[in-house]
Amino acid sequence: MNAQAETLRKNLVDAIVECDIDKTKSNVEASRGILSPQEIIDALSEGMHEVGIKFERGKLFLPHVMVAANAMTSAVALIEGDLAESMTGGSRGHVVMGTVEGDVHDIGKSIVSTMLQCAGYDVNDVGRDVPTATFLEAVKEGNADVLGLSALMTTSMQTQKEVIETLIEKGMRKDVQVIVGGAPVTQAFSDKIGADGYSENASEAVKLVHRLLGN
Amino acid sequence: MTDMTPRERVLAALRMEELDRPPVAVFTQSATIGQMEALDVYWPEAHSDPRMMAKLSAGQADVLGFEAVRATFCLTSEAEVLGAEVDPGKMNSQPMLKSHPYKDAFKAKEEVDLPSPEEVLNSGRPKVILDAVEILVKEYGDRYPVIAGNTGPFTLAGHLADTENLVFGIIMSPDEVKKWVKAAAEYTDYFTQALSDAGADVVQMSEPTASCDLLSPEMFEEFASPYLKEGYAKLKGAKSCLHICGNTYPILEHMIATGADALSIEEKVDPVKAVESVAGRVPLVGNVGVVHPLLQGSPEDCIKHGKAVAAAGLNVVSPGCGLSALIPNENLLALVKSVKG
Ligand code: B12
Repeated sequence: MNAQAETLRKNLVDAIVECDIDKTKSNVEASRGILSPQEIIDALSEGMHEVGIKFERGKLFLPHVMVAANAMTSAVALIEGDLAESMTGGSRGHVVMGTVEGDVHDIGKSIVSTMLQCAGYDVNDVGRDVPTATFLEAVKEGNADVLGLSALMTTSMQTQKEVIETLIEKGMRKDVQVIVGGAPVTQAFSDKIGADGYSENASEAVKLVHRLLGN
Repeated sequence: MTDMTPRERVLAALRMEELDRPPVAVFTQSATIGQMEALDVYWPEAHSDPRMMAKLSAGQADVLGFEAVRATFCLTSEAEVLGAEVDPGKMNSQPMLKSHPYKDAFKAKEEVDLPSPEEVLNSGRPKVILDAVEILVKEYGDRYPVIAGNTGPFTLAGHLADTENLVFGIIMSPDEVKKWVKAAAEYTDYFTQALSDAGADVVQMSEPTASCDLLSPEMFEEFASPYLKEGYAKLKGAKSCLHICGNTYPILEHMIATGADALSIEEKVDPVKAVESVAGRVPLVGNVGVVHPLLQGSPEDCIKHGKAVAAAGLNVVSPGCGLSALIPNENLLALVKSVKG
């Protein structure tokens, strides 16, 4: 990467870490044509990752995370067209993603969706407080390869288990790989409920899906 | 001192007087299925009938031996009369907000005409609470302290305009956030005074949305404190108790500065460190864990935690947050015994 590109890249990371929506958008505009869509997304993701670390350490607070997540989503929307063009190979797989019923926490889930989209997956984000039946319909309809379930509360974690049980009941379990996440979820819980994978954060989630689909 | 009534004991504890033991009382949401079954009064009906509410509110004393009665079981009644839709919940779950009447108005930065506090807070479920408090004062007030619960201004503003809007707005439209918290404070202040006038000894205001999980201490100072402070300065009669969930250790100073007469804290705060930090400037209420030990632990665990909280020097031993309706009687009885002996 040349010096100019490196500066643009760094500006993108900084704009996200500063939780500045307008600056993020204008930096994306300034980077188009010089950085590839993938490079832009990688920079935004790097910023988001840093925001996540600062949140965990108590250096940044929830309002910052919400604004940074919004900055990332609106920046990605700007280059969606470029991204489609640059992805000659087509989609790397179809993912259905949502937060389980009874749970309205969706900031983390939306970040995972965005990052998977950026990594070349076709993501159907079905939202939050999603009834189990809706997940199953979306999997069937889109012939999904992966189903991602997010839960942020100890109570709603049980619903992740219910979704997997319903998939088994309906004879759909072997058609789709189920991944689970959200702050209270652990690898041990994921194993216990028979999910195919768990990851702690969005960048790990991308690696997880790559691995599960052999990409 | 053994012939003190629970009321005398709790009020003395809130004045931070020397006592042979602290009182043990549920200052947060107190109803459980065990009490509902013993009294034959159930959720959701008890949320909207003053007689039933009063009976279940006294369950902590009548069924379990705690040293207070406490009315209202949720934080949705103020928002409901202001236009929020509420799912009344079930026997084992609290009412839940289903919509936020001013969500779009917040986003559009619209000026809205809000109804007067007198009008709405003397109707619907807020009126049920006021009536239940009067019943409790009449029937229990000679022996038990009557505690009334309500919703704090930042939390109520979130109920009206959507909490996500508020949290996002702290960075993107701070003036709009302040406008809504100020508007919500009009209702909070009116209702706190009305509960006091109905005869409540203590008004415990819950402000969970202003917790450190959502706001930094600086944000708390800017967006939540000023409205609490103003309200407490005006309150006549009842003692005020400010309850905030989560780890509030970083904002204990700010909470003291609101002028609340007592602070109610959750189990995420280390009780020894909290007592040390507050250093006798204000009485502390709390902070036996609701999930652990009360919901998931054994009676022995509950005894251990109750004793630890009393030994740490909290002025009133209470659960750190609203009780889950599923907490078994044995565990609550064990907590009572750990303090009363
Ligand atoms: C923001 C927030 C809210 C916001 C949500 C806004 C929104 N649109 O999401 C609001 C204010 C609305 C809210 C409401 C409530 N909340 Co809340 N909330 C939080 C908070 C502070 C942060 C969550 C967050 O966004 N984190 C940041 C994101 C980036 O992290 P993340 O979600 O963990 O996601 C990352 C990973 O987990 C992973 N990941 C996430 N999903 C997935 C999925 C897959 C498949 C994979 C692989 C990975 C993955 O990748 C993400 C990115 O790295 C937490 C406390 C905390 N500090 O975590 C409480 C918390 C989750 N809330 C809690 C509670 C109790 C509530 C309420 C019930 C409060 C109330 N009484 O009203 C309501 C719930 C309503 C409901 N029915 O859901 C509790 C849950 C306790 C429990 N029982 O477990 C918490 C833990 C707070 C607490 N300490 O008590 N809340």
